[in-house]
Amino acid sequence: MDERPLDVLIVEDEVLLATELEFLVGEVGCNAVGLAMSSDEAVAMANDLRPDLALVDVHLRDGPTGVEVVRKIHDDCGGVALFMTANVKRLPDDFAGACGVIGKPYSEHGVKTALAYLTICLREGRAPSPPPIGLELSPAYAERWGVTALLRAVPHAV
Amino acid sequence: MTDTLRSERAAEELAAEHGVGDPFAAAIRATRMAMVVTDASQADNPIIFANDAFLALTGYRRDEVIGRNCRFLQGPDTDPASIEAMRRAVADGQDMAIDILNYRKDGTTFWNALYLSPVRSKAGEIVYFFGSQLNISDRKRAELELGDTRERLEAAVEARTADLTQALQQKTALLHEVDHRVKNNLQLISSLLLLQNRRVTDPAVKSHLRGMLERVSAIATVHRRLFQSEDVERFDVAAFVRDLVSDMMGGARRDDIKVRLDLERVDIAASKAAPLALVISELFSNALRHAFPPEAMAGRTGEVFVGITRQDADFRIEITDNGVGVENSASSGGFGLTIVQLLCQQLKARPQTTPADPGTRVVVYLPVNGVHH
Repeated sequence: MDERPLDVLIVEDEVLLATELEFLVGEVGCNAVGLAMSSDEAVAMANDLRPDLALVDVHLRDGPTGVEVVRKIHDDCGGVALFMTANVKRLPDDFAGACGVIGKPYSEHGVKTALAYLTICLREGRAPSPPPIGLELSPAYAERWGVTALLRAVPHAV
Repeated sequence: MTDTLRSERAAEELAAEHGVGDPFAAAIRATRMAMVVTDASQADNPIIFANDAFLALTGYRRDEVIGRNCRFLQGPDTDPASIEAMRRAVADGQDMAIDILNYRKDGTTFWNALYLSPVRSKAGEIVYFFGSQLNISDRKRAELELGDTRERLEAAVEARTADLTQALQQKTALLHEVDHRVKNNLQLISSLLLLQNRRVTDPAVKSHLRGMLERVSAIATVHRRLFQSEDVERFDVAAFVRDLVSDMMGGARRDDIKVRLDLERVDIAASKAAPLALVISELFSNALRHAFPPEAMAGRTGEVFVGITRQDADFRIEITDNGVGVENSASSGGFGLTIVQLLCQQLKARPQTTPADPGTRVVVYLPVNGVHH
C-alpha cells in the first residue's frame, strides 16, 4: 500500500483563503504542491505537477471557469478534482468528473476531516465509511468507492 | 323579348295575383325588413320584386334592380366562400342563412344577414326565390371591436407575463449572487482569523481568536444551511445543531467528552437563525471549554446533552453537561454569557440556568410566535 502523502493542487483566486487552505492541507499530512489562480494556470500546473487531488473553486480570476478546469483535469490529466464552492446547487449533475464538493463556507474541521477521508479513499480505492459532514461525493465516485452500497446496507448511516 | 321585359311581365303577373286587399302582399310591401323575390324560371334568376325597405337599404331605385341578379350587391371585399355557398344553395334548391358583406349603390358597405329560400309550385317545382336582408353592421362592428380588444388584452397579458418572468429570473440570479458573496466573505473572515491565530503565541489572545472563529463559523453554518433548503424563509434548527456539534467536537479534540442529541425538527424564521445559532454555539462552547477541566476528569467520560422540543407555545432548547458545575468552573460570566443575554433579549427568549447535579443545565425558551404568553 502506498503511504506517501497526497500531492494537492489548490485552485483558488482568493489569496487569503488559499493561504489558509495550504496550512490545512499540510496539517492533515498532505503535500500542497502549488497554487493556481486562473484556469490557464490551473490546467498547466495540473499537467506539470500531476497532483493526486486538485481542490478547485468555481469562480477563478478569469470568471466561473472552475467547472471547465475540473473537466480538463479529469479528461486530459486523468486526475481527481474536488470542488470547493459557495454555489453547490449550480454544479453540473455529473460534477464535471469531480469526486465531490465541499460547500463554502467550510470549517477548518470540515476540510481536515474531508481531506483525511479522501486520502483513504484514493489510497485504497474504496471508502471506509459514508462521507463526513460537509463533504458530498459525486454519484460516480460514490459508486466507485462503494459508498452507494454502504448506504444501501446501512440506510440510517447519514 | 328582352330579359328586363320578361321580368317586368313576371312582376306584373305576381302583382296581379297579390293585388290590393291581399294582406300578405301588403305586409311584405310595407315591412321594415328588406325583401326581394326572384324568378327561378328565367335564366340567371333575376329580381322581379323588391320592397321599399330593400331600396332604402341598398340605395337603388326600383327600376335599377328589377331584371337583375342579386350579385350587384357584392363587391371586392365580399368573401368568395360566402358567394360560393349561396350559389350552391340556389343550385340545390336549399334555403340558407348567411352573414355577407354587401355594397350599396354609393359604394358604401353593410353587413347583411341574408335569408334565402326557394318557393315551390303545387307541382313541387321551384318557381321563385325569396330573400330577406337585415343590416347587422352594428353587431359586426361590435364583434370586430370585441375581437380587437381581446387580442390587445391578450398581447398585454403576454407582455406583462414576459416582464414578470424576466424580473423573477433577475431576482433569482441576484439572490444567488448575494448568497455567493455572503458565503465567500464569511469564508474570508474565517481565513483571516485562522491566519492570525497561527501567528500569535499568547494563549489568552489565541483563546479570544478561537472564540471569535467559533462565532463566525456558527453564522457561516447558518448561511450554508439557509440556502440549502427550498424555503429560504425557514431555518431548520435541528440540522444546524448537528452541523455545529460535529464542527465544534472536531475542533475541540476531546475524546473524553461525548455528545448526546435529542433533536425534534423545529423550523424558525430565517431572521432569527443567526442570533439563535450564536446563543446555541456560545452555550455549547461554554460547556466544552469550562465544564470539563482536563485535570478534573480523572479518566471519567463527560457528556454534553443537546435537546430541542416544542413545549406549548415555546421551543425548548436544552444544553446540559455533567461537568464541574458553574460554581467550580473557570467561567466567570465572560463575554460569551453577555452575548447570550443580549441575544436572548433580542429574540424575546428566556434563558434559565440551574444546577444539574452534577453539572449545569441551561434551558432557553424561545416563543414559537415571537412573544411570550
